Amino acid sequence: MTLLAPARPAALAVPARRRNPVRLIAGVIVTVIVLAAFWSADITWSRLGELPAEIMRYLGLMFLSPNGAKLPEALWQTWRSVEMAWIGTVLGILIATPLSLIAARGFGPAPVRVALRFVFSLVRAVPELVFAIIILSVTGLTPLTGALALAIGGVGTLGKWGYEAVENVAPGPIEAARAAGGSTTQVLRWGVWPQAAPTFFSFWLYRFEINVRASAVLGLIGVGGIGDMLTSYTQYREWSTVGMLLIVVVVVTVAIDAVSGRIRRRIMEGPRVR
Amino acid sequence: MPWAAALVIAAVTVVMCLPGVGVGLDVAAIARNWQQGALRIVELLTPDWTFFPRTVGPILETLQTAVIGTAVGAAISLPVSFWAARPTNPFTPTRALVRGILNVIRAVPELVYAAVLVAMVGVGALPGILALVLFNVGIVVKLVSESIDATDAGPLEAGRAAGGTQAQINRTIALPDTWPTFVSQTLYVFELNVRASTVLGLVGAGGIGLLIDAVRTYYRYDQLSLVILEILVIVVVLDTVSDAIRRRLV
Repeated sequence: MTLLAPARPAALAVPARRRNPVRLIAGVIVTVIVLAAFWSADITWSRLGELPAEIMRYLGLMFLSPNGAKLPEALWQTWRSVEMAWIGTVLGILIATPLSLIAARGFGPAPVRVALRFVFSLVRAVPELVFAIIILSVTGLTPLTGALALAIGGVGTLGKWGYEAVENVAPGPIEAARAAGGSTTQVLRWGVWPQAAPTFFSFWLYRFEINVRASAVLGLIGVGGIGDMLTSYTQYREWSTVGMLLIVVVVVTVAIDAVSGRIRRRIMEGPRVR
Repeated sequence: MPWAAALVIAAVTVVMCLPGVGVGLDVAAIARNWQQGALRIVELLTPDWTFFPRTVGPILETLQTAVIGTAVGAAISLPVSFWAARPTNPFTPTRALVRGILNVIRAVPELVYAAVLVAMVGVGALPGILALVLFNVGIVVKLVSESIDATDAGPLEAGRAAGGTQAQINRTIALPDTWPTFVSQTLYVFELNVRASTVLGLVGAGGIGLLIDAVRTYYRYDQLSLVILEILVIVVVLDTVSDAIRRRLV
C-alpha cells in the first residue's frame, strides 16, 4: 500500500515575529505624548456625548432651508475673495520666479542661495493670517491686504518649488547653451526655461488653488470677501445664511479646483492621445 | 497661444485692480499710512521678551490641539482610507460616496470649520480639535487611499485566490502594506496641524491664536513679534524632526 499524501506535519513552524526596538520606543513615545495631550487638555469631556446630536441639529438649521436671499451678496464677496487669490498669486509669481532662479544651484552665488532658501523656509513657517495682520497696519482692512499676504506666503512656496524645478531639469541643454557661449541669462532662457516651464505653470495654478482656499480664511480677520461675510453671519447666528455661504464656498472651491486641475494635467501630460 | 494666455492673464489682473470691482488698491491711503507701517515694523524688530511667560500656556494649548487633532484624525482616517480605495473596496457606490463626502470636506478650509464650530460648541480647544480632525481626515484619506490604489495588486489577488474575504484581505495584506504611507502622511498632517493650530485662536478656538488676536487689538506689535518668533521656532523644529522620521520611513 502506498501513501497518497504525506502525513501532515504536527505543527507548522511559524517564524518568530521580528522585533524592532526603535519602533517600540517610538511607539511608546508617541503614545505617551498623545495621552499627555488628552489628559492635560482643557476640555469638558462630558459634553462630548451630546455633541453629535448638537451638530446634527445645527447641520439641519444650516442646510435644510438655506437662505437664498443673500446669494447675490455672497457671490459678490466670493468674487472679491477670488480677486484676492488672483492678485496674490500674480504678485507672488512676479516676486518668486526671479528669486527661485537665483536660489537654484549653479545660477546664483552660494551665500545668496543659502540666504534665499532660509527666507523661503521662514516665510513658509508663518501662517498667511499673521502676514495679513502685519500688513493691515499700512493698507487697512481691504482685500488688497489679503492679496499682499497671499503674495508673501506664495513667495515661500513658489520659491521653493521653483528652485527645485530648476535643479531637476536635465543638464544636457544647459551644457549645450553654455558650450555655445551663452551668458547666465541666456542659459536660463534657452537651457532651463523650455524644460522647467510646464512645471512652473503647474505650480502657479496649484498655488492659485491654495490661495482660493486661503482667501476665504483671510476674510475671518475682516479684510473682506466670503470669509468676512461668513464670520459675521456666524456671529449673528443666522444659520440658514451660514449654510448657504458654506455651500457657495464648497461649490466655488471645487469648481476652481476642477478647472485648474484639468489645465494642470493638460500642461504636464499634454493632450490626451485618442 | 502662450501670448494669448499671457494677455488674458494680464487683462484679468488689470480689471481686478480697478476701483469699484477690484481689490481696492488705494495708493494715496498707502502713502498716508506708510509712516505708521514703518513704526510697526520697528516694533516688530524689537520683540518684547518680558511677554514670554504669558505665551507659554497658550503655546502648550496649541500643541495639545495639534496632537489631539492629529491622533483622532489619524484614527478615523485609517479605516476610511480602505473604504475610499478601489483594491480594498471594490464596491463602487460606497467608494464613490466616501470620496464624494471627502471632496466636500476638503473644500472648506479648517479655519472656516473652526469659526462655525466655535459658534456651535462654544469657545475653547474643542472646536479647534474638531476642525483639525475634519481637515485631517480629508487629507489623510485622500493621500493614503491614492497610495493604496497605486500599490501592486499581486498580493491582494493572491489573498483572493486563497479564498479570503475582502475584510480578511484588507486586514492581513493591505494593512501592512499601507502602514508606512499612513504613518508618513500622518506626520505630514501633523506639520500642517501645528501651523494651522497657531491661528485657530483667531476665531476663538483656543491656543496661541487667541493671544495673537489680543495683542493685535491693542496694536502691541512688539509682543506680536515675540509670538511670531515662537511659532517660527516651533514649526521649524517640528518640521525638521518629522521630516527626518519620514525620510527613514519611505
